[in-house]
Amino acid sequence: MTKVFSIFGPSSRPQLGPFEQQVLQKLWSQGSATVRELLADGKIHQAYTTVMTTMDRLYKKGLLVRVAEGRAFRYTPRHTPEELQRVTALESIRQLLGSGDASSLPLSYLVEAVSSHDAQLLDELQLLVERKRREIQGPGKKTREQR
Amino acid sequence: MFALRGIAVSLTFFVLFYGLLSALVAVAWRLLKRLHATERALAGLLFALRILPFVASVGITFAFVVPSFQLLEPRSIDIDEGVGAMPLALGVCALLLIACGCFRVIAAQTATARLVARWLKGAHAMNADAGAQTVTLRSRPEAPPLTLVGLRRQRVLVSESAFALLSQDELRIALKHELAHMHGRDNLKKLVFRFCPFPGMARLESAWSQAAELAADDAAVSNLDDAVDLAAALVKLSRLVPVEAAPICTVGFVTGSIGARVARLLAWNEAEAGKAQPERIRPWYAVPPALVALFCVVVTYGPALALTHQVTEWLVR
Repeated sequence: MTKVFSIFGPSSRPQLGPFEQQVLQKLWSQGSATVRELLADGKIHQAYTTVMTTMDRLYKKGLLVRVAEGRAFRYTPRHTPEELQRVTALESIRQLLGSGDASSLPLSYLVEAVSSHDAQLLDELQLLVERKRREIQGPGKKTREQR
Repeated sequence: MFALRGIAVSLTFFVLFYGLLSALVAVAWRLLKRLHATERALAGLLFALRILPFVASVGITFAFVVPSFQLLEPRSIDIDEGVGAMPLALGVCALLLIACGCFRVIAAQTATARLVARWLKGAHAMNADAGAQTVTLRSRPEAPPLTLVGLRRQRVLVSESAFALLSQDELRIALKHELAHMHGRDNLKKLVFRFCPFPGMARLESAWSQAAELAADDAAVSNLDDAVDLAAALVKLSRLVPVEAAPICTVGFVTGSIGARVARLLAWNEAEAGKAQPERIRPWYAVPPALVALFCVVVTYGPALALTHQVTEWLVR
């Protein structure tokens, strides 16, 4: 499992190349596949060996599991997209909290980030409420309090 | 020794049923998400499901295990027969479970009482009480903005800050929301959850909490103006960060997903709310199946007791 997390950078997004992401997306949509099956629909325009190497790399990063099927391997994603998002976020938070000498400092960054996100969200909600209020009151109508 | 063995066997069955049913509920409750029901009905179902393992285990134990032991266990040989390692171990587990439940309830109640007492210092009654049979108090600024407290004597606390921030209409509708929680006895329900501990129930409880909030929103709102006022009150009070975390046995106004609640309120449609309500789940729908189940129990009670006793014998050995 550590291998999975080691690929995530400070941005909490998996550091995967575009082609690795494409392969992972495809495997999520298909459930499981061999290299040949992945290439079968012609949506991936890469050589067989490139796809094989990429899937092997994803396997080594701990994002795929594989079982031998004849002379090839069948690959399955280890996590669902939601699970991957969750473990990525959790590990990023753990890494953040574990970094630095003053343990309270990263936590304060987190609180600050969450608070500013909350404030932004509340500002947006406030705008929506005001817009709706104007909509239902109309130009000539009195507000409830004026009534 | 006979009585001790009887208690051990009863507790063993109780803890086995409780564990099994709780595990089942912890996995199966998600099926309710597919149900197209009102939020009130959904909250009711989630609550019923959460307490089902405890209620059913107690019911089965007293309806089957205790009578089967009393009627079918021979008393003459009780001197020779000991309690057995398994019933003893599981009996202790059951006692620990009950003790843990009691401790959680007492701890939650004590912490709540202490904090509420502090909030109530210098509190005074308000004029705006939404016309309900309740005491609404203005409390200290550091108290949560709007909170329902108490189990038997329920009260709504409005902090000075909330009172200053909300318009009269917003305050009235926010109080109506809290009164809906009061009528639903949501504080008591939260305490009941504390009494039935089981790992993996947090999500069910969180889903119940969200459904209870939406149900209270629905109960408070009767037209689009109300919906917008309630949404505005939610946004305003969300900005008030409480100094202390709210204790277990209180129901705060700013709970659950604020974004989802506001979006739902702003999309409130008077016409749709009137005619296109999701189907309500009426309690009397449960009467025919309950009668059939009762009939089956009455008819098969004797064989069921015998079977229970056989299982008891197997368990004790």
